[in-house]
Amino acid sequence: MKLGADLIPIKKMITMDQIRMYADASGDYNPIHINEDFGKNSQFGRNIGHGMMAAATISELMAESFGMAWYNTGKMKMRFRSPVYPGDEIQTSGQIKKLEDTTNSSHITCTVMITRQDGDIIISGETSVRVDKSASAGD
Amino acid sequence: MLPLDYSLLKSGNEISDQTYTLGQKEVALYLEAVQDKSSREFDKSGIELSPPMAVAALSLRGVVVDLQIPGGTLHVGQEMEFVNSVKVGETLRCVASLASNNVRGKWRFMVVSLTVLNSSGLSVMKGKSTIMLPA
Repeated sequence: MKLGADLIPIKKMITMDQIRMYADASGDYNPIHINEDFGKNSQFGRNIGHGMMAAATISELMAESFGMAWYNTGKMKMRFRSPVYPGDEIQTSGQIKKLEDTTNSSHITCTVMITRQDGDIIISGETSVRVDKSASAGD
Repeated sequence: MLPLDYSLLKSGNEISDQTYTLGQKEVALYLEAVQDKSSREFDKSGIELSPPMAVAALSLRGVVVDLQIPGGTLHVGQEMEFVNSVKVGETLRCVASLASNNVRGKWRFMVVSLTVLNSSGLSVMKGKSTIMLPA
């Protein structure tokens, strides 16, 4: 891992079925996500996906890049900047912005972002992870 | 259940203290919902580990229910720290307390502190959620 290196981006399509499934998985049945009439009458004019559902792709990106280290030492700080809508194609990307080495580990900080097809930013934030030098990334 | 008067909630008030089991079925549903295709991780004894964000989603479940989050509430910020991995099948205690509660214009902003403990009482996740409710 080098300073400035890009993490392998993830692309996904957001669907209404997926939003309903996330409501079941999370227990968050806020009508803005799943009730068509409520969505139409909201400030967004339609249903929106759960922010945490979109944010899950950031965790997926970090898990793919850093494996077990993400599970044990991962940190993330995110700002939900605009909603994700059914039908959106989102891209989750990340870049290493800071590397701090100690004797036994490297502390890696990344900037992360989720954008939709028109370039709008849905989520921006920062993640960090501590990788043990005795283990390769992904162990 | 009577509706909550959010204006009476103060920093430090406990919002929720719930216990859930994150089993194979719950993890599978979560993974399908978020289309997570990352490699699964296992502990040294070969037991599958829960994806960290499945734990984070669980930590918010009690908040949504016990805080009686009204329709139209928006999640505007989230911080999380995963401090120990969670085995699939573990029972987790999710505790939430109010960190701040302010009204700005037509919206109420609440920051909720989250702590998730495993059955041994070991912290597995800490976090903070910022939500925005119609005031």
